[in-house]
Formats: sequence, structure tokens, C-alpha cells
Amino acid sequence: MMRTFIQLLGEDAPIFRRYVWMAVLYGLLSGLTIAALVPVLTRLLAGDAHGSALWLCVLLVGVVACWAWRRQVEKAGIGVGIVVLQGARHRIGDHVARLPIGWFTPENTARLNHAVSNGMMEIAQLPAHVFTPVFSGAVTPVVIVVVLFALQWQMGLIALLALPVFSAVFVIAARFGRRADETYHRNAARTSQRMIEFAQAQSVLRAFNGEGGGTRFLEQAIDRQRRSGRELILLSTASVVLNSWVVQAVLAALLMVAVVDIQARLGAGLEAGPVIGLVVALLLSNRFVEPLLDVAGYGEALRGARNQLEAVREILAISPLAEPEAPREPKNASVELRNVTFRYAADQPPLLQGIDLKVEPGSMVALVGASGSGKTTLMRLVARFFDVESGSVLVGGVDVRHMTGERLAGQISQIFQDTYLFQGTIAENIRIGRPDASDAELAEAIRQAGVERIVARMPDGLETVVGEGGARLSGGERQRISIARALIKDAPILLIDEATAALDAENQAAIAETLSRLRGKRTLIVIAHQLSTVAMADRIVVLDAGQIREEGSHDGLRAQDGLYARFLKQRQAAKGWHIAATP
Amino acid sequence: MLTLAPLAGMAQIAKIAINGAGAEGAQGGIWLIALASFACLFLGLALIAAGELAAHLADNRLTHGLRRALVERLSRVPLGWFSSRASGEVKQAMQDDIGTLHELTAHYYTTLGRAGGAILFSVVYMLVVDWRMAIASLLPFPFYYLIFGAAKKAISEERMTQFVTGQARINNAVIEFVNGIPVVKAFGVSGKAHGAYREAVDAFTKAFLSFTQPLVAPLANANAIIAPVTVLGVVLAFGTLFVSLGWIAPVDVLPFALIAPGISGPLMLLGFISHGVADGTAAAQRVQALLETERLEQPAPGTLQVPAGTEVRFENVGYAYDGQNAVLSSIDLTLAPGTVTAVVGASGAGKSTLARLLLRFFDPTEGRILLGGADLRLIETSQLYRSIGFVLQDVRLVNASVYDNIALGRPSASRQQVEAAAQAASIHERILALPRGYDSVIGEDAKLSGGEEQRICIARAVLLDPPVMVLDEATSAADAENEAAIQKALSRMARGRTLLVVAHRLDTIRHADRIVVMEDGAIREQGTHAQLLSAGGAYARLWQSGGYADAVQEAVAP
Repeated sequence: MMRTFIQLLGEDAPIFRRYVWMAVLYGLLSGLTIAALVPVLTRLLAGDAHGSALWLCVLLVGVVACWAWRRQVEKAGIGVGIVVLQGARHRIGDHVARLPIGWFTPENTARLNHAVSNGMMEIAQLPAHVFTPVFSGAVTPVVIVVVLFALQWQMGLIALLALPVFSAVFVIAARFGRRADETYHRNAARTSQRMIEFAQAQSVLRAFNGEGGGTRFLEQAIDRQRRSGRELILLSTASVVLNSWVVQAVLAALLMVAVVDIQARLGAGLEAGPVIGLVVALLLSNRFVEPLLDVAGYGEALRGARNQLEAVREILAISPLAEPEAPREPKNASVELRNVTFRYAADQPPLLQGIDLKVEPGSMVALVGASGSGKTTLMRLVARFFDVESGSVLVGGVDVRHMTGERLAGQISQIFQDTYLFQGTIAENIRIGRPDASDAELAEAIRQAGVERIVARMPDGLETVVGEGGARLSGGERQRISIARALIKDAPILLIDEATAALDAENQAAIAETLSRLRGKRTLIVIAHQLSTVAMADRIVVLDAGQIREEGSHDGLRAQDGLYARFLKQRQAAKGWHIAATP
Repeated sequence: MLTLAPLAGMAQIAKIAINGAGAEGAQGGIWLIALASFACLFLGLALIAAGELAAHLADNRLTHGLRRALVERLSRVPLGWFSSRASGEVKQAMQDDIGTLHELTAHYYTTLGRAGGAILFSVVYMLVVDWRMAIASLLPFPFYYLIFGAAKKAISEERMTQFVTGQARINNAVIEFVNGIPVVKAFGVSGKAHGAYREAVDAFTKAFLSFTQPLVAPLANANAIIAPVTVLGVVLAFGTLFVSLGWIAPVDVLPFALIAPGISGPLMLLGFISHGVADGTAAAQRVQALLETERLEQPAPGTLQVPAGTEVRFENVGYAYDGQNAVLSSIDLTLAPGTVTAVVGASGAGKSTLARLLLRFFDPTEGRILLGGADLRLIETSQLYRSIGFVLQDVRLVNASVYDNIALGRPSASRQQVEAAAQAASIHERILALPRGYDSVIGEDAKLSGGEEQRICIARAVLLDPPVMVLDEATSAADAENEAAIQKALSRMARGRTLLVVAHRLDTIRHADRIVVMEDGAIREQGTHAQLLSAGGAYARLWQSGGYADAVQEAVAP
């Protein structure tokens, strides 16, 4: 658990280590101060007021020292919390941004979401609220054990033996709850995901809620969360009971030993010194038990945090795309795939197999093929969303794995299917492409991408805030903004996924204009659905089942009566389609 | 309270040991006290455990009920409510805020009882033993409250709000960040997360700091004052003083040294839970606010209407976003049963709003929409959606099996019906090719293209078999191969239904029974393709500029 915590803190770990030492030292200091109680009480009970006052001064100095030191410990603890909230969240963000896109399944996304928001909050509270009492609570009793030995060795022995027994019970009790806890957190994360879905897909869910089918999934998730919550409660209550009963049993044993001894001595006749010692030992045994009870009481909080840390550890354990040690610079705007094979996971069939393709700088290639033929995957490999299984992808003559992520991203502009707009203004969303672009460049990109009309329609123009995922714009409008984003970046290689066969007229115009303007000036790779686009390409590559089947010019391929010829027929049929209520 | 018995017992034993040394009767007494103490202790512990268990179980039931109530409520608010909110906020309220309430319901009262009882018992016991010593021993505690109270005042309402909004911002930023990863990867500096996420994290840290900073020093002081060590020091200092003054016997200091430090624990616990109560109250207010969100107007009982027939009529319908920005005005339109009405126009002309009004995603701000003579607002929701189905341009599938997605609106449908719907939507074969067929889960092992997902949406609508259908740019998510399939599916579905089609490609709707051309939220012209072309108005210009004449030519003579 500590290891994960330190891993999470990364370079900030020394702050945490310093804090731990401070907390341990605090425990030691408290223990010693409590130990000073022994001479104070012994002398007091023996009637030596002067001696007692002297030791009392020592004790009071200890109290003041504890006070001052505790303040430092608290400050250090909050410092660690801040590091978690800021540094660790940044670290997770940076890590996740380097993971291959394939990792972002809904399940993983939900887990990440939960870990970063709720999980981090819980972990950040740990030092200030949990670690300080636990660390010092674990150290103080050890000091007291030593003192108990000096006062009455049997009690000291019991206390000493109780420490390992107690840790063992503590660990067992923690195991008890952990599995229930894991189930609960898994269910909670799933419910969170359902809630987000509930909000995002509300329109569909509501319309299809005729028989309660729409809210069924969320309700089931909530029910499951309740059931696992119940299980968790039962188990954690059991473990809390176990912990505190064991601690109290130790107290009982200590008391019994003291009672037996006192009786033995009382029977043996009056002897003030040892009896006083025993009485003091009795008092100390109470001081011994109390911090341990505190530790036991924090068991639940610790276990909860442990699960959060575990979730974070799993996320941090996913290996990101490797960055080269000696990065190389791309030489030109060419793109080449050499004998590329790719699959998402070892147990899945390959999505691409033995792909060889060379795109010269400034030329335009159109990728054509049925869905699932590998067009999008090929495009994503060029942008290094994933690394190939075998073979290599070269941009500017350099393997993408030998380039820094920044360098590669600088080479390539993308207009992809999944258009995502961030919460922010239209202008901000476009400037993501090049944050330092001038207003004139922004205006030009807006004009070229046909965003002008959207801007004109919006009450706040360019400063209109688009919602989460650009929710207040239509799909076509969102895509046009993403086109502007890619245009303003103006990289030497442009990857375009024409996305749909039926682009709305404005988008189609924007893409067509972009293509004809950049043709010959930039390297263009286009997943094409429009006949007009395909016809513009210098070369057409037809993919089928992850392999290149045909390659050549429009006229050449049409004459072959192969896949491409079939594609053309399909397109023409679609063009002639219309809808009518009567056949 | 019972759990404190051993401490009193110990004090008693000590007293006997020192005073009554030698007395034969004392021996039995000590054992009795010891045994009684532990009986009390374990009984107390058992009661605490039982109490906690009961409270937690009650809480689990309560939070569950609340979450269900929120789902129920939010299923009835206007859909516009959702589009003006990030989904993270909804999740925050349903999951996190209700989770915070847990503090209140499960911990507050049991802890209050337990800690309050322990403190009360301690104080009374000490007062009984020796009131002077008791007052001296309790001296540190008022100071604790003074400092603590001052610190609490430092948490202003404003800081609390900043803290909460910071938390919500983090939630949204994470969702954004994760969904936007492809964009981040393509444009962001590699290895560095997107700026918005970092900013949200930093802003939250700042809010958190300004929230906690003024509390750190006073809280540390307050905690130090009542730390057991401090209390012990105070007890012993006064004890020594009183003994030397001859006010009390040395052995009478013991009960105080035993009991007084034990007050700190419960007291700190009280402080801790009152902290939780503040959070819990704020969370409860947010949940309450959500539970009171305005619902889509529900028809008063007795005024419910059942549509007679499938004719759709817009009567002088207007809609203004936020009550000010008019998106639609004075729409009069009738969709005759069994006909196709197409709506065309530039983006922003109000086509999609018109379609969404018919689906009651919002209610019109002016006029009314009638289905079979009944006002949409007076038709029961489930009845409405049995009558009007839709396929929209943004494909929304839920994270469930393909089967469940198709059967979303009719969970009771038979396997054959679901498969028949899939066949009608030309997606049956594709589904069978998935790793687990119909049981493949969307986004997990069912990795489908946009067009394929769209066909699942069509299957979903087909299964509901509504007499009226709204198609909003339904083929726009398709690629080349899918487009043909979707077109086939839509043609099949269109037969015999009343259709409202929002289209951006004029050639697809040129055979519609009526074409409505919209501009700036109003109907500019309407008629058949031929009528509109010969009228030479807006439609004719659109047709010309789209170059459809050639395309149709091409299609006719390939």
C-alpha cells in the first residue's frame, strides 16, 4: 500500500517520507512524555510532593514539545494531501495521455473517472486524518511496552506479545472486508458509468422507456450497488468488532495480571512500593490500549483508501507507448507502411496483415473498402494511436517509434470520425490545433472550414461555449469545427476520414475545398466515400479484410471489374435512393 | 458509556490496593469489580456494534431509495435540462452527493449517542469523585471549543461553494479529458494531459487550499490541547498542586488520570462528525434541489387524452431557446397519415428543433402539436413513444448487449421479434458475426462502425413499430457500404407509416409527398419536388447549387 502511495507521488515522494518520519517521531515523543508519568505518579502516591513536582516539569516540557511538533506534523500531512490532489492527479493525467487509444473502453474510462475524482479525494485525506493517528498510534504503545516491562515484567510480556497478535488480527480483519470492498467499488464505478450514460443518452432512454426498458440498466446498477453495499457493511462491521474486541481482551488480560499480582502482594503483607508500581502500570496499560483502539478504528478508512490506491496502481501499471531514447527527425512528408500487421490483442484476429504502402510527399491517396476492412486502423497506425505488432510505420522516412510524440503530432493533422469538442468556446476549440495562431489565421481556418455560418448563427459568435462533447451543435457542425482545427494546424501530412457517405452539403464543400486547395502541397491520405473525392486521388488503395487488394488510378481500377468497380456501383445505387411511404 | 466501566473499575481497584492493603475482604471485592467491569465493557461493545450495523443498513436502504427517486425524477424533466448540464454533474449528484449523505445517516446519530454518552459519563463520574479536581481536569476542553469554533467561522460560504464547484469541475474535466484523448493525442503536447484537465486540477487544489489553509493552524492547536498527553499533564499538574495543598489524597488523582484523557477521543470524534454534517447538509441540499427540478408538465389526472389516429398537426408552433432566442416561429403543418413529409433547409434553420418538438424533447413555447387530435402534452409518455419512433443522427447506444439495445423499448419482446427487427434493419448478419452474437456488449466485444450502430438504432425503432416515425439525417453516420444498407432498412420501415424526414441531401427526398423548406425558423415554402422546382424559389436554388441534377442522371444511367 505504501509502495503504491509512493509510486503515485512520484518525484514528490520525499515530501511523504519526511512526513512519515515526523509522524513516527511524534509517536515516540508522546510515548516518552507518557512514560514521564511513571515517576510523577509514583512519587505523588508515595507522598514525595517535591520529587513529583520536578518530574511534572519534565512532563509538561514534553507536553509542550508534543504540541509544537504535532502542528508541524499536521502541516506536513496537509502538504502531502495537496501533492496528491495536484501532483498525483497531474501524474495520472500525463500517464493516461500516453496510453494507446485502445485502452479507453467504457469500463476503463469509468474506472479512471472514479479513481481521479473520488479516489484521489479519499487518498488525499489519508495523511491528515488517518496516517498521523495510525503512525503515532503504532509507535506510542511500543514505548509504553518498554516502560511496562520495567514496572511489572508479566504485564510487559503480555503487552509485547499482544502487539504481533494484534497486527495479525488487524491484517485478517482487513482481508475480511477487502473482497466485499472490491466488489462494492467495482459496482459503484459501474453505476457511475451508467449515470453518465443516463445523462448523455437521456433522449433515447426516455423514448424507449415504454416498459421501463430505458432506466432498467441504471436501476439494476443501483440495485447491485445496494446489495454489495450491504455485504460490505456486514463484513466491515464484523472486522471492526473483531479488532476492538481483541484490543479490549488484551486490556482485560493486563488488568487480570495486575489484579492477581496485587492480591498476591496484599496477601503477602504491606509493601507500598511495588503496589504503587502496579497501580501505575494499570494506568499505563490503559494508555497502551487507547492508541491501538484508534488504529483499529481507522481500519475501515485504511481499507477504503487501499482499494482506491489499488485502482490507481492498476492504471499506472498499463505501459504507455514507448518514447525513443534518441529521437530522430522526420526528413520529409512521406508516409510508408512496411509489412505491417496489427491486432488489438493476442487472442484476436489481425485487423491488418502484411500491409505495404508508400505515399510520396505531396501526393494524395484514397483508401476505399467496406467497414471493418482496416481503413481506419491503418490511418490510426500512421498517427501512432497504437504500435504495430510487426513491420513498421515510417513518417518522413523515420519509424514513428523513433520519433517523439510531439514531433509526430507536429507532422500530422487529422480530421477523424470521432469528433470531440471540449467544453469551451468555438475559438478555443479551434485553437487547440495551434494555440499561438494569429487572429487572421483563425479567421482563415474558419472561412475555409465553413464555420462562418455556425458562428454567425450563434448569439456569442466565436465566443459561444459549446457544451460537453459539443452537445449543442449538430454532428455536421461539430465536424466542421474539427476541420477548422485541423486546418489551422497546417501540418505537412493530413489524414482525413470522410466519416460518412452522406456528409451534409456544407461539410462536403469544406472537405472538397480543402482537398483541392492542399492537393500537391501536402501529403493527403483520405478514407473516401464520395466519388468526387476518390476521383481526385493520385492513387486509390482498396482494402478488404485487413489486406490491400487493389491499387491504382480511378480509370485503371474501374476497368478491372474488381472490388473497386463494385464499390462504384454501390455508390451509384445509393445516390439514386429516395424515401417514400409507398413503394 | 458501558465501555468506560473498566476505567472506573481500575480506579477503584487502585484505591483498594493502596488504602485497604491487608484487609482480607478487599480480595473478593477486587475480583468482583474486575469482572463487573469487563462484563460492562463487552456488553457495551456489542451494543455499539449492533447500533452501527443497524444504522449502516438503514443508510444503505435510504441511499438506494434516494438514487431510485432521482432516476425517476430526472426521467421526467425536460430534455433541455440535460443538454445544458454536463453529465458529470448528474453523476456527482446521484452518486457522490448521496454517498456523502451516508455520513449523516449512518454515522451521525450513532456516533453522537456513543461519544456524547461517554463524555457525559466521564464528567459526572469525575464530579462525583471530587468536583475541584474535575473542573481542573476539564480545563483544556473549553479551549478546544473556542479555537475550533473560531476556525469554523473561517470557512466562509463562498469558500465552501468554490470547493464544491471545484469538485464538479474535476468530474467534468475527467470526462472531457478521457473522451477527448484522440484529440489530445493528435494536437496536445505528447505525454502531457490537456490544458483544461490540468487547469481544473490546479483550480481545485487552489480552492481546496484556500478552504483548508485558515483551518490548519487552529485545528492543530485545538487537537494538541485535548491530546491525551496534554490532558494528562494538566491533571497531574493540578493533582500535584491539590495534593500539596492537602485538598485531596494522592490516590484520588488516579481516577482523573485514567478518565480525563479518555474524553479527547469522543470529543474529537464529535468534531469530526460535525464536519461531516456540514458536507452532508450541503450535499443534501443539492440532492433536494435536484429532486425538485421542474418536471415536464404532466397532464392533470382525468385530462389525459388518447390519440385517435396518426395525423400530426403543428398549430402555430413557436419555440424559443431560454425563452428569448426564437428558433421556430408560427409553424403550421399537417402530416397526413401514411405520407412522407420532408424538411429541408440550411443548418440552423430549425429543422432538427421541429423534429425534436414532435418527439417532445421540449415543449413548444407557443402553439401546440396534436397527434391524432390529442395535444402531445396530454398524452401519457409511454403512449406517446409507442406512437412516435425516431432515428436520429447522433447514434446513442447503451453499454449493454446488442440484444438489450435492440429490445430497449420492448424488453418483453421475444427472441424472434428482436431478430426480425435486426433483419429488417439489415444488421442481423453483422450481429451474428460478432464474437458473442447478440450477446456481444457494445463497446466491449461489439466494435461496430457508426453506420452499423445506426442500423441497430433502426432495429430498435422497428421493434417498437410506431405508426409515426421521425428520421433526422438518419444516414449521416454511415459509410459507403452502410449507407446502402441503411437506405434499404429505412425504405422497408417507411411503408405505411407517417414519416417526418429531416434531410440534408435533397435527392433522397425528392419523391416525398410533401417537401417543407425552412429558413430562419419559419416555413418558407412547401410542395412536391416538381411544384417547388417550377416555382423557382429557395428549393429550386438549393437543388441547383447541390448539383443533384447530374447525380440523379448518373444514378439513372450508371
